[in-house]
Amino acid sequence: MLLFRSEEDVEAWCEHRQIARGATFDLARLWRLASAWYDDRLDPNWRRRTVLERQAILESVGLGGPFWRLTDSPRSERSITPGSDA
Amino acid sequence: MSNPILDSEIRLWVYQYFVDACGAPSPIEIAANFRLPPVQVEHALHRLQTEADALVRIPGSSYIWMAEPFSAVPTSFLVRSGARQWWGNCIWDGLAILALLCLDGTVSTACPFSGQPLLVTVADGALVNPRGVVHFVVPARDWWRDIGFT
Repeated sequence: MLLFRSEEDVEAWCEHRQIARGATFDLARLWRLASAWYDDRLDPNWRRRTVLERQAILESVGLGGPFWRLTDSPRSERSITPGSDA
Repeated sequence: MSNPILDSEIRLWVYQYFVDACGAPSPIEIAANFRLPPVQVEHALHRLQTEADALVRIPGSSYIWMAEPFSAVPTSFLVRSGARQWWGNCIWDGLAILALLCLDGTVSTACPFSGQPLLVTVADGALVNPRGVVHFVVPARDWWRDIGFT
């Protein structure tokens, strides 16, 4: 995840790199996401959040839709294998 | 032999090491702290990556690469707070370090296209005049396919 000066720079970078444009949003939303996503990392009883819990965090900051789906079947935890999602 | 309690203690110690020392401990340092044979630590780090998804080792080694949001190697996302500094794996992780530690500070990076330096400031737990556009290339379902690229 990279930070660009502007939407125009995102477009130009994608074209230059021949990379399909992904999703963009502002820093305010990223701050909310960053605050929620890792808030348990210093917890002695940390466990990896389930897919549904992580999906809920994404949705809580307004990141919904196919691009933000953590699995092809968002309601099926069993379809996830270790290391297959973030 | 797997020891979930020990693995959990090692994970937490690695994170606290990142916080305090602004970098990752080596496997030997972990072994010394826990008074364990190095091979036992290597196995624990392997389990923490492959079973718990708690950290990422440098490919082909037992050295820690990432304990998200921290990076053990220099990146384009330098986080500063007072006299301390860390590396984030991406802009998301850079901000997450300040959020996780409840610190005011900055994340320094540069626009990948224009090269213009970009500085994101956090003060009193909030962004100050945030400018810039966050771009996610990789869809969420593929984030862990190649975490280095992501």
